[in-house]
Amino acid sequence: MRTQDLAQLSTRAFKTNPMRTWLTILGMGVGTGAVVVLVGLGFGLQQIILEQIVFGETLLSLGVSATGAQNLELNSETVATFEANEHVLDAAPLARFPALVTYKGLTGNLFVQGAEPPYIRYAGVVASAGEVFTDEDLGNDTEIMLSPAVLKLFGIEDDKMTDFVGEKVKFRLLVPESEGSDQINEIFIDKEYTVKGITKEEGVLNALMMLPELRSHVGIEEYERIQVRVDSNEFLVTVEEELIEAGYRVTALSKTVEQASKIFQGVQAVLATFGGIALLVSAIGMFNTMTVTLLERTKEIGIMRTIGAAPKDIKWLFVSESVIVGFLGGVSGIVMGVALGVIVNFMLNVAASQFGGESVKLFSFPLGFLVFIALFSAVVGYLTGIFPAKRASTLNPLDAIRYE
Amino acid sequence: MAKPLIICRDLDIIYNKGKSNEFKALSGASTDIYEGEYIILFGASGSGKSTLMYSIQGSLPPGNGTMLIGGEDIYAISIEDRVYFQRYVMGIIFQQFNLIPSLTVLDNVALPMIFANKDKATRNRRAQSLLDRFGVGAVSHKITPMLSGGQQQRVSVARSMVNDPKILLADEPTGNLDSVSTQQVMDKIDEINTFDRRTVIMVSHNAAHLSYAHRVYYLKDGAIVREVVNPQRKQIKPVKEGETIVTELEQLARLFPYDSIETLRVKSLVNFLTQDYTFDQLERMERTVKFFMNGKIDRDALIKTLILPYERGGVGVPERDARRMATTSSKMLNQADDIRRFRKNHDQPHVFFDQHKLAERLRDHLLKTNRMKLSQKQDANLVEIIADRVVGVSNEVTFHERLEKGITTGGLALSEKESDDVARYFEKLIAQGVDVSYKS
Repeated sequence: MRTQDLAQLSTRAFKTNPMRTWLTILGMGVGTGAVVVLVGLGFGLQQIILEQIVFGETLLSLGVSATGAQNLELNSETVATFEANEHVLDAAPLARFPALVTYKGLTGNLFVQGAEPPYIRYAGVVASAGEVFTDEDLGNDTEIMLSPAVLKLFGIEDDKMTDFVGEKVKFRLLVPESEGSDQINEIFIDKEYTVKGITKEEGVLNALMMLPELRSHVGIEEYERIQVRVDSNEFLVTVEEELIEAGYRVTALSKTVEQASKIFQGVQAVLATFGGIALLVSAIGMFNTMTVTLLERTKEIGIMRTIGAAPKDIKWLFVSESVIVGFLGGVSGIVMGVALGVIVNFMLNVAASQFGGESVKLFSFPLGFLVFIALFSAVVGYLTGIFPAKRASTLNPLDAIRYE
Repeated sequence: MAKPLIICRDLDIIYNKGKSNEFKALSGASTDIYEGEYIILFGASGSGKSTLMYSIQGSLPPGNGTMLIGGEDIYAISIEDRVYFQRYVMGIIFQQFNLIPSLTVLDNVALPMIFANKDKATRNRRAQSLLDRFGVGAVSHKITPMLSGGQQQRVSVARSMVNDPKILLADEPTGNLDSVSTQQVMDKIDEINTFDRRTVIMVSHNAAHLSYAHRVYYLKDGAIVREVVNPQRKQIKPVKEGETIVTELEQLARLFPYDSIETLRVKSLVNFLTQDYTFDQLERMERTVKFFMNGKIDRDALIKTLILPYERGGVGVPERDARRMATTSSKMLNQADDIRRFRKNHDQPHVFFDQHKLAERLRDHLLKTNRMKLSQKQDANLVEIIADRVVGVSNEVTFHERLEKGITTGGLALSEKESDDVARYFEKLIAQGVDVSYKS
């Protein structure tokens, strides 16, 4: 039988029994629609989270620190060495000193960190209140950022965090007199710094100021960390391995992102399972319809067999009908699922802009995923059709023709 | 000597084998069918005639025996290979037409060509030309439920011929058709046999069709009980001289298709004992009387035909007998009209007086024919008895009884011989004059 004849014969049900055919398609559509919406939600959530933690440059940078064991030092020369690597665009250091912080007569221990704006970019520092240092802040000598734990030190509740921005604090740096010595010099910075922002670092007591400002108070010979910006994703691992081989400890945010992705794959799997159950239910419904169709067409099968249809012709008639129904079900499911996602996104964004929130894309539908769903639904159609089709093709034509 | 196109040997077909409702539909059937033959498988329902046909068609694998078509054992090959025979060697038409209602007439006819991978232009051209040939070309774009039964069957004849098969199988093709459509379809099938030279195998229980066939296989209870050659058609099957001769039994078999050979032999003998005329004469006489009854010929023509010698197309009855027959039959037909009138007015009470007169006239016919004279009381009673019988209050037996009963109890007190004659004659009149509605 020719393909076009097969297509024509197997789509007769749209004319002879349009109601049932479209309802079957709708059933399949609702099932695949559920999969599309739920998996789309998974994709959306993943993207939101990644967008929160991932800035392009952050993903492409490596945090390098020295391991005590090999007596490696991080200093200006190290920075220059790193920058000499052809795959490294830039290397930005971070210096750190223990210090005492004073706020309204209360004093506590923390670390004062000094870094330049590129480091802040590469490390992906974000503010939970106030603002982050930007590239213009290189010469800023009046403002600092604090980690949330410092606020706890002063007995500030989390919900008062925003109010703390703009407060003034003072520092006394604790600098060892010389390397390996126990003697500590206290350097008192006679200057009040304004709190520009609160970072999101948890569990550490840190204050962050611009490196030039820190350097103006204390000589810096050794750095705590260097953020290495790699030029592209493909060399990230190469550079990382080189650094590790050289004896440095390397942390990469991309690792964290990978882990987050894995978690979200898990979330997606769970969502897809629920969608899959809906799809299974509709597939069973479709299977049922195909079986009923078989009974209904028994006589017709008998007629076709006696006038010269081969058993495999009968089989392909049934299979192609269910593949077409399954595929159309998939397409309608995609349309329904995407439409629902887009509508919910739109409503959320309208609501978000009403309440001054940020607009988000809760649902996301990558094209590849939609194509997969369309093909998959055709496969489901094939699977639901093949069993009734096989049975139809093995019916004895004479029994079939006498079936009423 | 040409080999048969279809050879089936010792075919046994058992339905539901091994189950409690096991049923042997065919046992030991053997047939040889030659190319170009018109074969009728004849029998009552349940005789196995359709079973034999579907076994030839390839849908009923036999329990025992072989089925060779064109020398190939179609049940020794795979189902997929057997499709070749169903697609290119055999065409089939059914009693229920079995067209597919969701397709147009044209697509229905083209369907076997679709399965044969023919392109659309070729098959539409072929289908349309066949539809035109069978007189249904004008409806080719309608869907089949919009067609009459006769049209549907002609469409299915077109469908059966679309792949140009050697064999046409027909399963009671006229069973669902009126007489006009039956004639059209039978003519088309005959044309396929005589003009297109296709082998036709038809399943039928209609004896009127038997004259189309070269040979008729009579089936009864799953067995072929006899094979009858139609002397009116030139045989294709080679017959050895003297092996089978055409006898009166062949003729009788067509007249009484459901009777066994033994019954037919009895009929032949009894006919000789009781009748002055042969079956051929009787058959022709029946036809002539039918024309007379229908008013197609008048009394003189009837007499002429009866007298005319058999060889010249007449019946060959002596003139005196012919005249008597004509007189009697026209008289009886006239008197039967009175019965018809009587029954027609029966439901209308205001014409009671006329009814009484009609009954009296019927009584007079009866007395005159039997040359009887009755008393006044008897006359009155006879009118009553006649009226009761004609309207159906009494049946044949009570009518007869009342003729013999005493006069005071409403009877006529006739002798047994007299009442036999009166009753016999009157029943003949009633048979002519009462409109009956039963299917022939």
